[in-house]
Amino acid sequence: MLDVNKVRGGDGLAPISTQVDEILESVFETTRKATTAFFDAYNENPNPKVLATWLETRAWREIDYVFLLNEQIRRYGMRFKRNHITLLAKQSFQEAEHYEDVGRAVESLGGTVPTSVPDSSVPWSSWLWGCMDRHHLAGIAAWYVSETSASGSFEPTFIGAARQGHTEVVKIYKQIEIDEKFHTGLGRQILSTYAKTDEDREEILRAMIGMRDIAWKTFTPEVVAATMRAREGKTAAAV
Amino acid sequence: MRRHCSRDPFIRVVAGHPLQGNTMDASSTFNARVRRLSAVADGVLAIELGHADGGLLPAWDAGAHIDLKLPNGIARQYSLCGELADRETWRIAVLREPNSRGGSAYVHDALRAGDVIPVSGPRNNFALTDANRYLFIAGGIGITPILPMLKEASRHGRPWTLVYGGRTRGSMAFLDEIAGHQDADISIVPQDEFGLIDLDRHLSVPQRGTLIYCCGPGPLIDAVEGASRCWPPASLHRERFAPKLVAEPAAGDSFEVELALSGQVLVVGEDDSLLEVLENAGYQVTNSCRAGICGTCLLKVAAGEPDHRDDLLDDEQRASNAMILPCVSRSKTKRLVLQL
Repeated sequence: MLDVNKVRGGDGLAPISTQVDEILESVFETTRKATTAFFDAYNENPNPKVLATWLETRAWREIDYVFLLNEQIRRYGMRFKRNHITLLAKQSFQEAEHYEDVGRAVESLGGTVPTSVPDSSVPWSSWLWGCMDRHHLAGIAAWYVSETSASGSFEPTFIGAARQGHTEVVKIYKQIEIDEKFHTGLGRQILSTYAKTDEDREEILRAMIGMRDIAWKTFTPEVVAATMRAREGKTAAAV
Repeated sequence: MRRHCSRDPFIRVVAGHPLQGNTMDASSTFNARVRRLSAVADGVLAIELGHADGGLLPAWDAGAHIDLKLPNGIARQYSLCGELADRETWRIAVLREPNSRGGSAYVHDALRAGDVIPVSGPRNNFALTDANRYLFIAGGIGITPILPMLKEASRHGRPWTLVYGGRTRGSMAFLDEIAGHQDADISIVPQDEFGLIDLDRHLSVPQRGTLIYCCGPGPLIDAVEGASRCWPPASLHRERFAPKLVAEPAAGDSFEVELALSGQVLVVGEDDSLLEVLENAGYQVTNSCRAGICGTCLLKVAAGEPDHRDDLLDDEQRASNAMILPCVSRSKTKRLVLQL
């Protein structure tokens, strides 16, 4: 297995590489644990709607990345080499495919594909967009951590979803896992290529630390349970 | 210091190890005359060469090597270890190999001052790139490419450490020249006096901004690679004494790919992607970025030398010639055999 965090680029991250790697390792592990906890709870009471609710936040991330990457290109693209514009656009296309695929899985489980940011995803989305507004590399730094976080969820997802026979979910996430390597490799390469100043690196670290503290939370069983309770409350109030 | 991006279409072999095939590029081959031979250590002969017609020799950089076509028909490659500024004389040093098949044995037993031999080069696959500091590690005759690097680093005011090991003090060439470096951090480690080089002492703590240059026998290189894994990527530059076949350069930029499991041979044209050629032939290769970033399309190489153009494989993985990312990489040899 090749380590995409060792992708060749510039040396822009060299002064902070230790901190960067610690953040990535941390978010990978916390997300892995959160996902394991979710599937442990799910396997005790395998209600497909629970899994659908859990996947809704995944689906939103995919389409929010599409919006963000295209805005990133529009706003900052001319600061980057042409091949990186192409690769960001390619990533955007793949995220759109993921939104379509995860959306299909959500619907197959009786859920609803989000078309606006779900309540549970607001902190994540706000941080992502806020980072991009601040600095041309901060949005990329934030999604680099978020994508690394998702990587931590794959193995427990494969195991947990397979245990309940959700083969379509496993298949979709196998493809997402492949593309995630590209996305995280690209994130690392862009950051290491274009980070030039201490201010750049400060913004990158700020974005990464903030996302580290947010990214894993929507993977937990508690967030899914709270989302479902809130939804039931809204439904009851409407009746 | 100049930065190099060598694309030499052959595998480097140093210190008189067997070569097979023809590495001589007629366009850059000229006749050199042996001016002087002198013993510089037990079993090590220094040879000074000049241009046979009395003209100036090509300029070279530290780490460069030349190809000699010996009168017995054998071609060998040797690192240049003389003065960079001297355009009239090149110096190489040749260790008598106990299992010599005609290279070092010929040099030691038959080569004489006044002999004229075809030479090509210089070429450099082991160039010294700029760094804040250097750690040079040499084993035995591996001191030869390192020797000019010491002078070059000093000339640019870069601090350096040399760790030089050998079987015995008497077998270690150029100790007198090395001793001439004032204010340098030099460790001379004859094995019969001190045992093997203590690599942990020098490599256990990564030094940011320091590049490691290592040349010597395989076990030393392997040990240095292992001990320096904790260093930042691309810190280690090394040159092996590896009796590898010299690969023929690919004709033009097209090459053949043989699929080991089926025996099928496909042609990859100069404008084709290896991955696309495989896909067009019906092979499904998992991939994502198609830009040499994600590593998903990694394939095993059974034979041939990949021309790595990805951004992911590290130096060791590239040097192994055992893998390739077909989305962007090509072949330096006419034929590449894949485990597919």
